[in-house]
Amino acid sequence: MAEGARPGPLGGRHERPDARAKVAGSTRYVADLALPGMLHAALAVSKVPSARVAGIELAAARAVEGVEAVLTAADIPGKNLVGVIFEDQPLLVEDRVRMVGDRLALVAARTPEAAWDAARLVRGRLEPLPSVHDPVAALEAGTTRVHDTGNLVRTFRVVRGDLERAHARAAVVVEAEYHVGGQEHAYLEPQGCLAIPEGRDRITIITSCQCPFYVQQAVARVLGLSLAAVRVEQAPTGGGFGGKEDYPSEPAACAAVLAFATGKPVRLVLPRELDMQASTKRHAVVVRHRWGAGRDGKLRFAEVETFMDAGAYIGLSTVVAERANVSSIGPYDVGAVRVATHVVYTNNLFGGAFRGFGQPQVSWAAEATMDTLARALALDPLEFRRRNVLDGRRRRMCTGQLLPRPVLARECLDRAAELAGWEGFHAKPRAASGARREGMGIGLVLYGCNLHHGGQRLDRSSAVVILQPDGSVVVRVGLTEMGQGNLAACQTIAAQALGVDPSAVQVWQPDTTTVADSGPTVASRGAHMSGLAILDAVNRLRTRLDPIAAELLGCARDLVELSNGFASVRGEPGRRVSVASVATEMAARRIEGIATGWHRSKARAFDAETGTGAPYEFYAIACQIARVSVDEELGIVRVQEVSAAHDVGRVIHRDALEGQIEGGIVQGIGWATTEELKLDAGRLANPNFTDYLIPTAADAPRIKIAVVESDGAGGPFGAKGVGEPSLIPAAAAVRNAVCEALDVEIRRLPLSPPTVVEALGERHPFAWLIAGRKEEEHAGLATADRER
Amino acid sequence: MDVPVREVFRPSSLPEALAVLSERPGARPIAGGTDLMVQLRDGRAHAAALVDLGRLGLDLVLESESELEIGAATRMDRIAAEPRIRSLFPALAAAASQVGAWPIQCRATLGGNLANASPAADTAPPLLVEGALLKVASSAGTRRLAIEEFFLAPGRSALAPGELILSVVLPFPGTDAGARTVERFAKVGARREQVISLVSLAGRAVVGADGTLSEVRLALGSVAPTPVRARHAERVLAGRAPAPEVRREAAAALQQDIAPIDDVRAPARYRRLAAAVLLDRFLEEAARA
Amino acid sequence: MPEPVRVTLTLNGERRTFHVPPGRRLLDMLREDAGLTGTKEGCGSGECGTCTVLLDGSPVTSCLVLAASVDGHDVVTVEGLSRAGRLHPLQEALVSLGGIQCGFCTPGIAVTGAAVLARHENAPAEHARLLSGNLCRCTGYTKVLGALKAAATAGEENRG
Repeated sequence: MAEGARPGPLGGRHERPDARAKVAGSTRYVADLALPGMLHAALAVSKVPSARVAGIELAAARAVEGVEAVLTAADIPGKNLVGVIFEDQPLLVEDRVRMVGDRLALVAARTPEAAWDAARLVRGRLEPLPSVHDPVAALEAGTTRVHDTGNLVRTFRVVRGDLERAHARAAVVVEAEYHVGGQEHAYLEPQGCLAIPEGRDRITIITSCQCPFYVQQAVARVLGLSLAAVRVEQAPTGGGFGGKEDYPSEPAACAAVLAFATGKPVRLVLPRELDMQASTKRHAVVVRHRWGAGRDGKLRFAEVETFMDAGAYIGLSTVVAERANVSSIGPYDVGAVRVATHVVYTNNLFGGAFRGFGQPQVSWAAEATMDTLARALALDPLEFRRRNVLDGRRRRMCTGQLLPRPVLARECLDRAAELAGWEGFHAKPRAASGARREGMGIGLVLYGCNLHHGGQRLDRSSAVVILQPDGSVVVRVGLTEMGQGNLAACQTIAAQALGVDPSAVQVWQPDTTTVADSGPTVASRGAHMSGLAILDAVNRLRTRLDPIAAELLGCARDLVELSNGFASVRGEPGRRVSVASVATEMAARRIEGIATGWHRSKARAFDAETGTGAPYEFYAIACQIARVSVDEELGIVRVQEVSAAHDVGRVIHRDALEGQIEGGIVQGIGWATTEELKLDAGRLANPNFTDYLIPTAADAPRIKIAVVESDGAGGPFGAKGVGEPSLIPAAAAVRNAVCEALDVEIRRLPLSPPTVVEALGERHPFAWLIAGRKEEEHAGLATADRER
Repeated sequence: MDVPVREVFRPSSLPEALAVLSERPGARPIAGGTDLMVQLRDGRAHAAALVDLGRLGLDLVLESESELEIGAATRMDRIAAEPRIRSLFPALAAAASQVGAWPIQCRATLGGNLANASPAADTAPPLLVEGALLKVASSAGTRRLAIEEFFLAPGRSALAPGELILSVVLPFPGTDAGARTVERFAKVGARREQVISLVSLAGRAVVGADGTLSEVRLALGSVAPTPVRARHAERVLAGRAPAPEVRREAAAALQQDIAPIDDVRAPARYRRLAAAVLLDRFLEEAARA
Repeated sequence: MPEPVRVTLTLNGERRTFHVPPGRRLLDMLREDAGLTGTKEGCGSGECGTCTVLLDGSPVTSCLVLAASVDGHDVVTVEGLSRAGRLHPLQEALVSLGGIQCGFCTPGIAVTGAAVLARHENAPAEHARLLSGNLCRCTGYTKVLGALKAAATAGEENRG
């Protein structure tokens, strides 16, 4: 019997292993950890986006009572470099400032008040330089250069098919330019870490993070230590969403340098405002489209040019661009494709990883153009998608890769449409009372699970399974829990494979001294990669366990089955012994109860020049349909309901799966409607929850979910990933619903009230009031003031 | 982290509190602290000492024959729930229920909302249309101040150094037989709850049996350096029924009463449109009364 | 160094006295002086709700409350929601219905939610409005509100 088909916790809703401690308030995050003699760290940062550093004055800071260290770049023992891939980013400034938030100095003091007071007294003598704030204009000749290498970091392309011929066959062409705003992760737990030195030989870092291995690499480099001398333990992490993929290396390296300098443990927790200003963000992008379709409603060609605002340092921007690049046309069958995705330096916010990783932005644009084309062809947007979506016969996606079967796009479309009541909604005249207009919109995504071909060398995963003498099981993996349910998934998979109750399995947070580098917990790869590594470890363990069980049962080795806490003989369920008793026997005989596991993704071929080939190993599809009501006069969008259909392969833990979908939808809605990063020459004018508005409980729509399971994908028991497909279609669906409700095209995200009202133009009932009026500015209210 | 104050006083009588406020340099009153604590943390406000008002019995709602008196330390959740306030001064009750979210409402006080003197103060437009009077005290004595005289500039009120708001006095709306008073408050924000208003509007009007409006009072927040009465719009509406052309005229007149700016929350253009929409909706409700 | 202020309060049912700097926030008195780290700091400006505690039975954001102000008052933190080692019914519901992901907002939500239940509030729209000061980024609120509704219904049934 297939492992997944045996009775067990797979697909169920058992209690998540970390839930009880969390709800009681007893889980300890970084800020809840303290050691005797611990110092508190603070950062002195630049308030300007671009400057030459003439000097940094530290005397006043050093004089603050309780301060034990004030350090600058010259005090870094190893290399003054952070940045996960490229060497363009210092930990502490030397001669240049390139973004608001660039670190001038580090402070360690006996109280946090003293540390932050001292940080405020650090005086940077900064001579302002010209700065760049528009990623399109940044590529024009003569523009100020953020780095000497020029503002264009790299262009990724997809070149496939005969464009000229496709142009000739297109009856309808849509040209559009989209301005897609970035997004702040707004994890509820700010970035933070605790660095514990052992002399100047070794160090332990406990940190809120998605990748302890990145932190290990960064700290080793900054301190000049070997990797083995840096131990990084992931603390319970209060949300990540990509914002804790690579960024935690920066506070960790800061705390590590201070710890080595003072010889004491150092804790750094970022204040929310600094976290919002300086940490990574979803990239803001400009997307230009020229897409064409024939009278038959079939797409002929798609040309896409995307400008990604990377900010002052590359970070992960090139990797984000790789994904965006090959995801630019969505899950549709298009014969001729030209995509160019530019990564551009500016002095704006630091673009980085955020759930979806470049795909939400280009998908938002793609789904918008699909609706525009549908309208131009007088076709229902659902029908237009049905005609163009990839399926079992036409399965060549953007790069020419043949999607592995089954291709479930049509199923997801149909299921979502059924849940949403699409036909019924559009059959009757649309509800409109007073200024309220209703609309429905579709978002459809094809998501490449796991890491892009360009990141293949990172795509491995390590696990350790230790069978305890009492039959309980310790599991260690390299992937992290940040709320998405990785602990529950690992527990479920291990329990299913070993035939024990989930409560017998304890999964402990990753620690770089217990497992090998498993890469980051991103790209919806967590359950997949840790699950397969666990299964590998369990298989190896069973080479030692099964013979003992067979002996106790008096049967042949290959007849041993594990389920419900028992080892039994296949076909004779009455002949059984508890797994615990097998474990006890193994321990008594000193048989190795520990096994490691390993998984690597399959190698595949991809041509980076033409963007053709197989960027991903397998794909997940998701369709979400949003129903909105819009107050047309005030431009306020209310998402009433979202119907979601997800191609998940296999459900591992149902509550965790639904939780991801519900959370992703609401985070996507926030990005699409109320979350706006308001920039003033590189400075974030709303670095707080007062003015950066994420959805509250009162904004949550009703959510209906259909789960589409299938075999074939290579994940544990066939599971794919859902972390990102849950967010990507929501924003597109909301935009399309609003545009249907108001019968306008909106090409700017977020759909804030001013943006929606602007889109109505002269149709607004009070537009006549504004015509010809000149605005005056009063300085008094120009700064963000927070009042009640 | 601790806020940078050197001393805290917790007086148990009003004279004691007023004495500290007048004698101790840099002493400031604190009630709920929902604005002040953030400002102290950020260095936008400074206080060598804080005077906690929690023991002075300023948290009360008193009714007499002709007026309601609400103590300055009365919290928003109480104001929102108090039956007499809901029935007599519905705009104030509505505004109180929209100040921040529930945990803020359980802490923020009416006096604090006013003393902070933000142009976006939610309780200000209602109090302006309700004709509120503030009772204010210092160690030199007490005085009454009309709400119209209270707000001077963003963050600046007419309180003199050492002065404390004791209460807000609201005269009962008097209405003739056959007429009805309509009073409403509305606030525009991008999110459903917990938002600083982009525009807010309070309106009160007496609707006669013939449908004409009298005693029209309109006040708006977030569209000028202080909360403001919309007197041009009020004049257009006085004595007339809110028919469509009258409403258009009022919307145009309203533009002279407000001076919104582009700021981090919204552009001025949007605020003008939204203000006109809120006024129009109030008039529509009045027409239905 | 400023003179410490004496604060005597009932904390999770126990009478406690602390001597704290005048500028101490209730949040830090709870976390540092009382060692109760269940109450979190997510923003320090009263907007995220992770620092929510009950003050005389009402939810407040403890990052905005001066510790000195709670002298003579009653404070309950997430640690105090349990009775005799058993979780509050809302906490049980959050666990069993999948309403917890990263867990950082969870203590604040449990505290505010307990206050909602104490008011015998049953309307789902009211639940959402009363909880709107507790931000969550992981769950999308669906299962959180589901847990609150389940606990409210169970509470109704228990009262007969």
